[in-house]
Amino acid sequence: MAAPMELSCWGGDWGLPSLHPESLTAYAKFSGAPLTVNTINNPWRAPKGDVPVLISEDIVISQPAKILNFLRKQKYNADYELSAKQGADTLAYIALLEEKLLPALLHTFWVEAENYCCVTKPWFASRIAFPLSLYLPGKMSREALNRILLTRGGPPPYSLVEVEAQIYREAKECLNLLSKRLGTSQFFFGDTPTTLDACVFGFLAPIYKVCFPRVQLQEHLKQLPNLCLFCDDILTCYFRLTLSGHSPAGQDIADANLQKLTQLVNKESNLIEKMDDNLRKSPQHPPRKLTTLKLAAGGEGSSPLNRLSP
Amino acid sequence: LLLSTAAEPWPENAALYQQLKEEQILLSDNASSLAVQAFLQMCNLPIRVVCRANAEYMSPSGKLPFIHVGNQVVSELGPIVQFVKAKGHSLSDGLDEVQKAEMKAYMELVNNMLLTAELYLQWCDDVTVEEITHPRYGSPYPWPLNRILSYQKQWEVRRKMKAIGWAGKTLEQVLEDVDQCCQALSQRLGTQPYFFNKQPTELDALVFGHLFTILTTQLTTDELSEKVKNYSNLTAFCRRIEQQYFEGHDKDSSTTVAARSAKRSLLR
Repeated sequence: MAAPMELSCWGGDWGLPSLHPESLTAYAKFSGAPLTVNTINNPWRAPKGDVPVLISEDIVISQPAKILNFLRKQKYNADYELSAKQGADTLAYIALLEEKLLPALLHTFWVEAENYCCVTKPWFASRIAFPLSLYLPGKMSREALNRILLTRGGPPPYSLVEVEAQIYREAKECLNLLSKRLGTSQFFFGDTPTTLDACVFGFLAPIYKVCFPRVQLQEHLKQLPNLCLFCDDILTCYFRLTLSGHSPAGQDIADANLQKLTQLVNKESNLIEKMDDNLRKSPQHPPRKLTTLKLAAGGEGSSPLNRLSP
Repeated sequence: LLLSTAAEPWPENAALYQQLKEEQILLSDNASSLAVQAFLQMCNLPIRVVCRANAEYMSPSGKLPFIHVGNQVVSELGPIVQFVKAKGHSLSDGLDEVQKAEMKAYMELVNNMLLTAELYLQWCDDVTVEEITHPRYGSPYPWPLNRILSYQKQWEVRRKMKAIGWAGKTLEQVLEDVDQCCQALSQRLGTQPYFFNKQPTELDALVFGHLFTILTTQLTTDELSEKVKNYSNLTAFCRRIEQQYFEGHDKDSSTTVAARSAKRSLLR
């Protein structure tokens, strides 16, 4: 068996494996690929500077589409049982996500001032080494705004407020469409999860779980119960998350804490035993011999007393 | 605003504006314009095509084509479909919710892959830019305005490509994406006459606009049209729509595929 592949991507919080919509952690789970997931804190240190990055033996692959292709060629294919038409549908829905949902997602994370200042920037800054933490979140924010304006903004002069209104309208419509397509099934193509489920999960989970001050998209998503159930199902089944939000990393931390506590208790009990030993050997409390009382009457009375001496 | 104009019937003098057909229009704009024309034909709404050199600047969003109906100006296929729906004409009313979701998803696929690939080829492939795009784009204007306008547009498009991650792609990768998109469309279409079986929808109009333009426009290489020709059901689809909706409507040329491609091959 080849050495396990390594996937480097942004880490997660709020109960998610990753905050990045295209981190592919879900696809890896669905296809059963043996990946060790590294959460990185410095995208420039990752090869080629892009995130996510897959490293397999000596090969480095950096874009989500290429990573998916590589995993498929290695026979980790989550779409094995799909028909040709369903494969075509997958491509179409992924295009829908990128065109209609991604701008609003980028806006919620990186452009909406309150969200950016209170949540996104501190989160990313805390995971990036100083001094990059001062520069990189700002750069990501500018890139997000740039992307939104170039793909959605009309010719200048345009009103940013109108562009924002439009992208949120389109995103809500996109969520409605996804909800209608999913209907009452557990996954988009029947009972087993596929690439499309992984991509939809990647986009929806951050919207659903991350706690922002301005949450119009999250509120809209919460009105679509089948999509919320979809996210929760995947989180509980594939990422062993409880609904209260302990991630596997958190679980490891809890285990480590438990270990520490056990060690502490052991140490304490060792200490107590030692103290006990000391207590016994200590000269302050020599075993005292009871003076035998010799009764005048005879020797019999004294024998029980003799037996009392330690 | 839409409700007040919804009551008005479709006027006779509705016009669609695009760039000059012979000298100026480019692959992507031609595709978009043809898609709108096909859609309106499918809705049975008469429209006449008006060619203006400055059509791009007349458009409210800067994108082409746009239609001038009564006193309303609407640009791009999406808003035009909404506008026409407000007037009471729709091609997708018979679809259920899941089918509507699918239709919208496939339309985004065409926009995301085919349109972006066309833009890439026109503005980021150096050979095509030099030989076709630059001479055509500014052709109605005198030097140096023609060069300035076309460099400005090229800079804009390249910025957009960079923002969405296409700037790093090679031509081969772009053609691969086109092939993947065509494969998906071909698989979805299967043996049906239209994407949603018996009746055409705006998706059929959009796919027709792009594929027909790719098939009939001569570029520096045939690689792009070859990708589409690999899928026989797609070429049959284009021919079928052309015969059904454009026969006898086009005033300035005969409308067989051969005639159209001969005409298009003069686009250099």
